[in-house]
Amino acid sequence: MKMQREHALSLRAGALAGAPLMVGVVPWGIVAGVAMVGAGLTQGQAVAMSLLVFAGTAQLAVLPLLIAKAPLWVMYATALIVNLRYVIYSAVLAPHFEHLSRPWRALLSYITVDGMFALFIGRFHTEDADPHKHWFYLGGSLVMWTGWQLASMVGIFAGALIPQAWSLEFAATLALIAVLVPLLHDRAVVCAALAAGGVALAASKWPLNLGLLAAIAVGVVVGLAVARTLPKEVG
Amino acid sequence: MSGDAWIAWALIVGAGIVSFLSRAIFVVPGSHLRLPATAERVLRYAPAAALMAIVVPDLALVHGALSFSIENPKLVAGLVAFGLAAGTRSILLTIAGGMAALILLR
Repeated sequence: MKMQREHALSLRAGALAGAPLMVGVVPWGIVAGVAMVGAGLTQGQAVAMSLLVFAGTAQLAVLPLLIAKAPLWVMYATALIVNLRYVIYSAVLAPHFEHLSRPWRALLSYITVDGMFALFIGRFHTEDADPHKHWFYLGGSLVMWTGWQLASMVGIFAGALIPQAWSLEFAATLALIAVLVPLLHDRAVVCAALAAGGVALAASKWPLNLGLLAAIAVGVVVGLAVARTLPKEVG
Repeated sequence: MSGDAWIAWALIVGAGIVSFLSRAIFVVPGSHLRLPATAERVLRYAPAAALMAIVVPDLALVHGALSFSIENPKLVAGLVAFGLAAGTRSILLTIAGGMAALILLR
């Protein structure tokens, strides 16, 4: 009984800590909802995508490719590349959750988002043996999941009420800019991004949207090369 | 439409699997695997490169032709959004400011 109360308290603490992050999640979810329907998905498909993928950046990144009739493998590769940050999160979270059962670990993986990840690792150290920290993580992540899904539904089912002249699809590009900018924290990343942007323009007429993959490859190479020339940065 | 529906479902399910696996890859096996340093560096640059490669053509291409001019409202609105994102780190302000700029410029 006492255990259950502590679980509930941790769940609640996580939910309260995660709640302010909703300010970022809601507009982003609405934009994703509108963009999915705008790209030609039926409402049912859009709901399925929101539930199954649950990764706004990946969803918004593949939609222009769907419109351009890019091959599936290019869309999968693009989703994977913009999701690579989750691989890092997964490596960081693994020791926190290794004592849990497999279904728990699968659930906490599915529900991982940027904001709650950052909040969680800012609060708990790996060696922190708090037995309830997964309830904290679940509480905050559930708040994010619920906010995201509801906002996506608003975009999917009420997006049609928004006049076309507002060019809401542009909001999807702006949302990608909002996630991109915090990633540009040192000169090497900035150079990687600029090189990728340049190649993407130069290769925009390439077939099968291969220009996008070429741009990413060149960007990574430029980033690695610039990082070599920089003195070791602190942090 | 049936051909398109098939592609859409294949995209939804495939992107769902990709998104789950990228989050689960270390958490679900629960191993003490560590990322090699080289992989970690590549992982740092790829997402920023990918996002920039998606965003830049959206801003700078008008009907398939390059347009680096203040006459291109999307480019100017996009630059406003970059400035807002850098200054405020707020998704809401970035979207609202960029949309306001686009509407004012047209």
